[in-house]
Amino acid sequence: MAEQALSDLRIVDLSQRIAGPYCTKLFADMGADVVKVEPPQGDVSRTMGPFPDDEADPERSGLFLHLNTGKKSVTLDAGRMPGLALVKKLLATADVFVESSGPAVMAALGLGYEDLKSEFPNLVYVSITPFGHTGPYKDYAGNSITAMAMSTIMYNTGDPDREPLTTGGAPAEYIAGIHAWIGALSALAYREKESAGQLVEVAMADAAACADEYNAAMYGFQGAIRRRFYSRHVFGYPMDIMACKDGHIVVIPGAAGFPQRGLPQDGAVSPMALLMGNIEMDQQPLFQSGQERMIRWREVDELLQPWLDEHTKEEIVELAQALRMPFAHVPTVQDLVESEHLQARRFFQKIGHPRAGELTYAGHPFRMSETPAELSCAPTLGEHNSELADE
Amino acid sequence: MSKPLDGLRVIDLTQVFAGPTCTRILADLGAEVIRLESPNRVDITRNLIHTDNDGKDVPWERTLYFCIRNAGKKEVVLDLAQPRGLELLRRIIAESDVLAESFTPRVMRAFELDYEHVRQIKPDIVMISLSGYGQDGPLSDWAAYGMGLEPASGVSQLTGYVGGPPVRSGLSFTDPYSGFIGAGAVLAALHYRRRTGKGQYIDLSEQEAAVPLVGGALTDYAMNGRLPERIGNRSRWAAPQGCYRCSGDDDWIVISIESDDEWAAFCDAAGHSDWAADKRFATVDGRLEHHDELDTLIESWTNGQEHYEAFHLLQKAGVKAAPVLNGKEALLDAQFKARGQFEIIDQPHQGKRPVQRHLAAKFSAFDADVAGPAPTLGQHNEEILGGLLGLDADELAALEEQGVIATKPNLPFPAELVSAALKLPYDGFLENGTLLALEDDYQKQLGLE
Repeated sequence: MAEQALSDLRIVDLSQRIAGPYCTKLFADMGADVVKVEPPQGDVSRTMGPFPDDEADPERSGLFLHLNTGKKSVTLDAGRMPGLALVKKLLATADVFVESSGPAVMAALGLGYEDLKSEFPNLVYVSITPFGHTGPYKDYAGNSITAMAMSTIMYNTGDPDREPLTTGGAPAEYIAGIHAWIGALSALAYREKESAGQLVEVAMADAAACADEYNAAMYGFQGAIRRRFYSRHVFGYPMDIMACKDGHIVVIPGAAGFPQRGLPQDGAVSPMALLMGNIEMDQQPLFQSGQERMIRWREVDELLQPWLDEHTKEEIVELAQALRMPFAHVPTVQDLVESEHLQARRFFQKIGHPRAGELTYAGHPFRMSETPAELSCAPTLGEHNSELADE
Repeated sequence: MSKPLDGLRVIDLTQVFAGPTCTRILADLGAEVIRLESPNRVDITRNLIHTDNDGKDVPWERTLYFCIRNAGKKEVVLDLAQPRGLELLRRIIAESDVLAESFTPRVMRAFELDYEHVRQIKPDIVMISLSGYGQDGPLSDWAAYGMGLEPASGVSQLTGYVGGPPVRSGLSFTDPYSGFIGAGAVLAALHYRRRTGKGQYIDLSEQEAAVPLVGGALTDYAMNGRLPERIGNRSRWAAPQGCYRCSGDDDWIVISIESDDEWAAFCDAAGHSDWAADKRFATVDGRLEHHDELDTLIESWTNGQEHYEAFHLLQKAGVKAAPVLNGKEALLDAQFKARGQFEIIDQPHQGKRPVQRHLAAKFSAFDADVAGPAPTLGQHNEEILGGLLGLDADELAALEEQGVIATKPNLPFPAELVSAALKLPYDGFLENGTLLALEDDYQKQLGLE
């Protein structure tokens, strides 16, 4: 096995559900020794599924298996004395501690940052909560959808005459986990310079709001309040998912897809006209004005949709890409697993598990030339109890 | 105050959204980030969404999109089509710890600045490429924009109203997502470099980076051969959860009830003991089964509530809820204010402006706050080429004369014409509902004056 980027680190992880476990999965898949401390009944995500044949089984929850690759599991009741002593014994060997219960619960357990900082001055203490440790909402509860609501992203997603829509896949949980991972790595870099650990706290609502593209800025720089309009960008049309003969594709003509009035390529046939095999299209007023396209978008649809309805996803995207337009597919998870491109890049990982069998898992989010990530199976509940008790 | 990346230099060849998000985080952590632009081809976000919808006579210095993502960075403008420009870039790379770029893969190869060449210039450099589909594989040369990559990652198939088509989020969602991942990837590679002295190359495919978001659905497909249905704002494992209309013009609240206790607390807070007593709603399974009916009941209550008031009422009762904020509300929100989510920069040609944080982590030993305004075009030509590389004033003047360096873009038209062409049709947007409002006194409302 090649050496991994984070293989000198030990992480003690009391977090549950998605955000904290995704943070520590990023450490584990890059070689860190992640000790997952689970309550006797296990991480809540062991109950969240999906399960084979929909039969609940804490060892076969798809979400748990996905989020906990490469970790060790010990079960103990951190609220009771022997459990607390064992957590502290683990912390003596740890570089990073991750929790997602919040400061009140952790203080009650005797595991708050203030309780631990003098005993473990070099420890990086990572806390992930819905709204953070400070501010008027600090004691409020939340999850991915409440963070997406706060972020301005949700208000701008969906149809204009319907309710705002959250993005699928619990994204704010993942984003919070990523920010906690960045925060922990930053604090480790700080520790090397200043020889001191510290508290790193991440609010899920803040993390989702960091992803805002320009909703707050449109008000702060213009006084404009943007509103959902079929999830459309304000600076061009079309740039959207549209139906075609056999499904959906993303139609993105891009910066050079329509005729470029006054620029050097003026007079050439536009890529969109070439795509549709109809050079007359360039004479359409709607092909010539980006501002008109944004306002008279229904007429744009009337021009494009009949052609899209007669062509397949594959035909349209291949030809558009050959014309250097960034059209894209809208794959299902099955399409992703079967994608020749992702297969050629060996993105997906087949990993065996003693109870769940061999499954296909999402790969690491990036490739490193010298220290490639390695995914291995998630632990069964308490699998490493005796190993860690013997340490 | 010491920051963790003080003394680290990043040469930043990225553009638009994902790459600049990655390097903005590195800048906030203390790195000296030097952006590179070309006078013939400036970052396209220097043409995107002007302050007060008017670029005036300096459109490339008045775009909000560019400012929020590039605040706190330095900038050098070099024409890489001239051998001298490319040579100067190679000399900056030799002085850098990190190189970030986001071209389609063939571009860096054409400049002979792919990793194999770059490591000969600076052996222990950490280089990251953020691309749409990665550096190899049959689609690696595909053109890619952020708005296509959220769908390409599989996320859009999980987003949408029940029974409706797949939906993109109302932003280029995988761009910031990949930028966050990229910042962490660089930090991990730097951790390894501190330990071993070795640099390395990071190949980040934006499509792949977001696939773990659909990890649960992937295991469902692997275990059961099943593809998920779109469920709008609902949860797969708890109920009720949704987005409900409140009083007001376009005000909404999200409510997420994940346990029987939360359900009881909600009914109590809403003054509906009758719902709590209804046996159909007593268990999670029952609530999932009767979700449509619950949605109607809940909205009959939220319709008469102000969204922020209902949020506080429910949270104080122990129920997960949040108001659905628009851009103005986020800027004025008490929690974001208390936590400094928006910082004020004094931007040349634009004045005092709020920019959002790009890293949510709050540190007890330092603050990852913004380092300053975004650079004007070529603002640091002299500082970097003179100070770092040691060129003298005569050499700099000659480079400017030859158009190798510049502080203005080469535009095909007069600046005012460019500004007019890039105005967004706000009257039409107000009419059709793309904009909720356009408020003249916004700077006063935000306390920016």
